[in-house]
Amino acid sequence: MTAAIFSHDSRSSAATGIAAHNRSKALRKILTYAALWIAFVWAVFPFYWMIATSLRAKDEIFQRPPSLVPHTVTIQNYIDLLVGAQFWRFAMNSLLLTASVTLVSVLISVTAGYAMARHRFKGSVVLPLFMLYGQMFPPVLLLIPFYAQLRLLGWLDSLWGLIPVYLSYMLPLCVWLMRGFFSQVPHSLEDAARMDGCTRWQAFWKVILPMAKPGIVAVATWVMIHSWNEFLYASTFILSEKNRTLPLGLSGLIGQYTTDWGVLMAGGVITALPILLVFFFLQKHLVSGVGGGAVKG
Amino acid sequence: MSARTVPPSGLKPTWSSIFETGLGARAYPYLMVLPAVVIVLGVVVYPVLSGIMTAFYDVTLRSLNSGDMDFVGLRNFERVFADPNFVRALQNTVVWVILNVVAQLGLGLALALLLHRAMPGIGFFRSGILVPWVVPSVVAVLTWRWMYDPSVGIVNELLVKLGVIDAYHPWLGDTATSLYAVTVESIWKGTPFVMLLLLAALQLVPKSILEAASMDGASRWKKLWYVILPQIRVSFAIAAVLTFILTVNNFNAIWLMTEGGPLNSSEILFTLAYKYGFKRFDLGLASAVATMLFVGLVVATTVYLKLIQAREED
Repeated sequence: MTAAIFSHDSRSSAATGIAAHNRSKALRKILTYAALWIAFVWAVFPFYWMIATSLRAKDEIFQRPPSLVPHTVTIQNYIDLLVGAQFWRFAMNSLLLTASVTLVSVLISVTAGYAMARHRFKGSVVLPLFMLYGQMFPPVLLLIPFYAQLRLLGWLDSLWGLIPVYLSYMLPLCVWLMRGFFSQVPHSLEDAARMDGCTRWQAFWKVILPMAKPGIVAVATWVMIHSWNEFLYASTFILSEKNRTLPLGLSGLIGQYTTDWGVLMAGGVITALPILLVFFFLQKHLVSGVGGGAVKG
Repeated sequence: MSARTVPPSGLKPTWSSIFETGLGARAYPYLMVLPAVVIVLGVVVYPVLSGIMTAFYDVTLRSLNSGDMDFVGLRNFERVFADPNFVRALQNTVVWVILNVVAQLGLGLALALLLHRAMPGIGFFRSGILVPWVVPSVVAVLTWRWMYDPSVGIVNELLVKLGVIDAYHPWLGDTATSLYAVTVESIWKGTPFVMLLLLAALQLVPKSILEAASMDGASRWKKLWYVILPQIRVSFAIAAVLTFILTVNNFNAIWLMTEGGPLNSSEILFTLAYKYGFKRFDLGLASAVATMLFVGLVVATTVYLKLIQAREED
């Protein structure tokens, strides 16, 4: 920084130069914080507004002009939402679907990712790239064949039918990410275990898997978040109300003529809550995982 | 590898010993990737191929039930091109993609540069700015729809207070503003991820180069333009391609705010294909549009992969 001062102000007298520099430095600091606050408010405001709306009484929600801060805080919207059996049902559906998809994709991608990272075999170079391609296929192209297939199999309007559909959306990227994590686990450890008499499988199971645990947790979280949030496939293939997932249930609260925004926003808060919790506990893993794999969010 | 894989004779043999030698050892990696490959073939490759094929057949719900579909060649594509809605959707897609990519990259870079410095409280700002990325997309879109409400929406109120507009405006209900209103939500949601990617890249720029530039008397802007940007260009390009792919595939924002309306004013190719397929149940027509999107995305993905390889070689 001192270097910058001298080179910048070498022509003016030293004293006034440094004073001017300090002033511009303070100004820059103020501007930086101002910009940060603007960005912060812009990013957080809709989230704030969702919470604020969910805590308002019905008549206040439709009051004009809307006030930035709720006059009275009530949890009536949450009570209305949770008293009906519907919301619990949606939450259970989402939970079941998310858990199954996460379990299946982690189990399957763990071995594939490992083999691609560690072994040389026919296709060990092409397959990972192919997996990355698989992730980029537009869902709208897959929708129609899926629809035809699920119809044929009688799996339309079934949560189980959504599992293979979600796998198409998750699995390729899981394999790609897992491969990245496994290639960071040092070879030498596995070799040492093998020298000590472990079979390939034992070395994988007892040495490599525990080492790769942070990566596996990151991939599992990524799948969880995306399955929990998925809307397009669920809204196309789920027809009856009892099979809806949370995002579908929420969008179903939009009425043709009127919408109870208080209840809807309460549902939004509850739907977002698990994701926010997971995110803030695992922030470091996720950010490095996504940054390292350089893939879609 | 094979030199070391002598079966450990002194130890208790287990079922997994069969993978140690001969055929078992050679089959081992294939067995490990097999489940993933089979599933991807089944749920990605087969559907994609069958989707592309559908574009050349006349497929409706009735023919789906009876099972006999007529091959119609390029007829579906001709019908798509003749549809004025398609032309509109194509124009909208171009506008939608350009606005999103330019704004998300510009704002993402600005935010990354702002957050890439040691200042008190920077962690607080960083967490806050990541909120849009973390909020589930459906929840975010519905919240924005509520904020845009024509009679009691907070967006209207704030804009009136700031003196930008005189009276409440139905942002999503007006053909002149619907696409742009949805774009604002999409930019809000997408920028933090771009910021993350660029922040990761900025942290890899060697300090020594920046110091050398300062020594030579480079101003901030010159440093940004001649030192920082060239250093992060590959990550920047990757972020651009990813944003492009995510924007083309962003269905939730448009569908849950406007369903492409009013009067197709916010229709993009994705929602148009969806409407062809699941409102009109003309699956051949929908596949034709989807196939065109597919080709565009494959080109973008190829560029993306080339860029990733370029980065690994750097």
